[in-house]
Amino acid sequence: MESNLALVVALFVQLVVVGGLLLIQPFIVRRGLLFGVYVGEERWDGDEARSITRRWTVALAASMGLGLVLAALVVAIDGPVPLGVLVSVVTQIVASYGTYLWAHFRARRLAAPGAPAGAAALVADKPGSLLLPLASLAIAGVGGAIALAYAWMHYAALPAQVPTHFGVSGRPDAWSPRSFGSVMMLPVATLLMGLAMAVMAVLTARAKRAIRHPGSAASIDAQLRFRRAMANFLAGVGILTTTMLTLLSVYAVRTGLGLAPGLPGTFMALVAAMLVYAVGGSLYLAFRYGQGGARLERKAGSGVLTNGLADNSQWVLGVFYVNRDDPSIFVEKRFGLGYTINFGNPRAVALFVALLVVIAGIVISGLTTPQTHLNPFE
Amino acid sequence: MVILIERDRAEAAYEQIAAQIRSAIADGRLAAGSVLPGVRGLASDLGVNFNTVARAYRVLEDQGFVRIRERSGVEVVTPARQAPPEARGAFERELWELLVRMRQAGIPPRDLRRVTDDCLRRLEG
Repeated sequence: MESNLALVVALFVQLVVVGGLLLIQPFIVRRGLLFGVYVGEERWDGDEARSITRRWTVALAASMGLGLVLAALVVAIDGPVPLGVLVSVVTQIVASYGTYLWAHFRARRLAAPGAPAGAAALVADKPGSLLLPLASLAIAGVGGAIALAYAWMHYAALPAQVPTHFGVSGRPDAWSPRSFGSVMMLPVATLLMGLAMAVMAVLTARAKRAIRHPGSAASIDAQLRFRRAMANFLAGVGILTTTMLTLLSVYAVRTGLGLAPGLPGTFMALVAAMLVYAVGGSLYLAFRYGQGGARLERKAGSGVLTNGLADNSQWVLGVFYVNRDDPSIFVEKRFGLGYTINFGNPRAVALFVALLVVIAGIVISGLTTPQTHLNPFE
Repeated sequence: MVILIERDRAEAAYEQIAAQIRSAIADGRLAAGSVLPGVRGLASDLGVNFNTVARAYRVLEDQGFVRIRERSGVEVVTPARQAPPEARGAFERELWELLVRMRQAGIPPRDLRRVTDDCLRRLEG
């Protein structure tokens, strides 16, 4: 029952965050960009571009609704709730990519020809305050060290079965035989996840600038404000992630030692705070700034986009930026909110692979750790 | 101020960068002491290779427009008070060559005088 509730909540959050952020794309996208294609500022405002956007919005909203209906049908015919949620999520993922690709290939017909100008501000780049991103890096290190040290110090005192999963109530609902892997997995994940989020925040603060010309002053200002806000938002996510996982790591050990019945109420409050922060922060960034400061840079008037963001030859499907000459690691997305990496830069690719390895390692070790759902203390 | 690279121009990217910085220094948009973006930052913003920006900065340093420092970046320098006689002679020859080419290209001496006067006025601010 508890896990069903958690699944339904997860479905709701996923629909609001992913679906909602997709549906508001037309309101936050940079002028000139249409579904990952630079079509130029004039065509972007034309009838054909509007028609593509309108049809994409209708198709996406309809397919999301269809996913929910299918999920409800599965549950209505006495199917398991997880299956219903899975059906809805899969429908949404397929619909998101399907409708995007349809709109992307339509938009390609309107693509602006030729190579855009490269433009850069000839003043030293001040990435804004790095205070919060660097603080999140320090907190990730400290939190990870606390989690690792606590598990290490109490390893010998832990019983043969240790709690490795907790329900919505905060009580353990799965146990694994005590091993170095089962005990240290969570502290290691705490350290790596916190560091990954913090590094992303720092790199975002130093991401490539894409400006308009003429009217570059307003454009540069808009972009700097967006970049700083995005970096601080990610730093906040990193700090919350580290705090949450450190608490989880420490209380997993304490529960195993019999010093606590489960996770403290603070943990669930942190989870709720994280959800509110992530959803609220994403929506705030989208509506306040728009992608790359698009909503602020409207003061830039008739300026046209420059650099890689406007160069169709350097984007694959409007999603992957590949420019071997460009030393940038993080670049603005053409579709969606935030930044992506330059797949033409080996350092950026190495970072991406490292992140994938961390995530895959955590998932695989979670899946391969033998678990029992019988409480060894009862 | 903004620096622009037109990718479809015959002039190499490093030459475009250097020429725009020279102009900005000459007409006062970049004052002596201004710090220019680092090689990595400018290359990243323009989407060009490090070497392109590094080469532009080296050219500017050789020509006496900037000073490249290890830690404090690239700084615009004050124009020299007096050119050495040999340098002065070389510049005069370059100017003469340019004026001859312009004359040969069909620009009459009257227009050459107007152009050089305009350029001098820009230099004097």
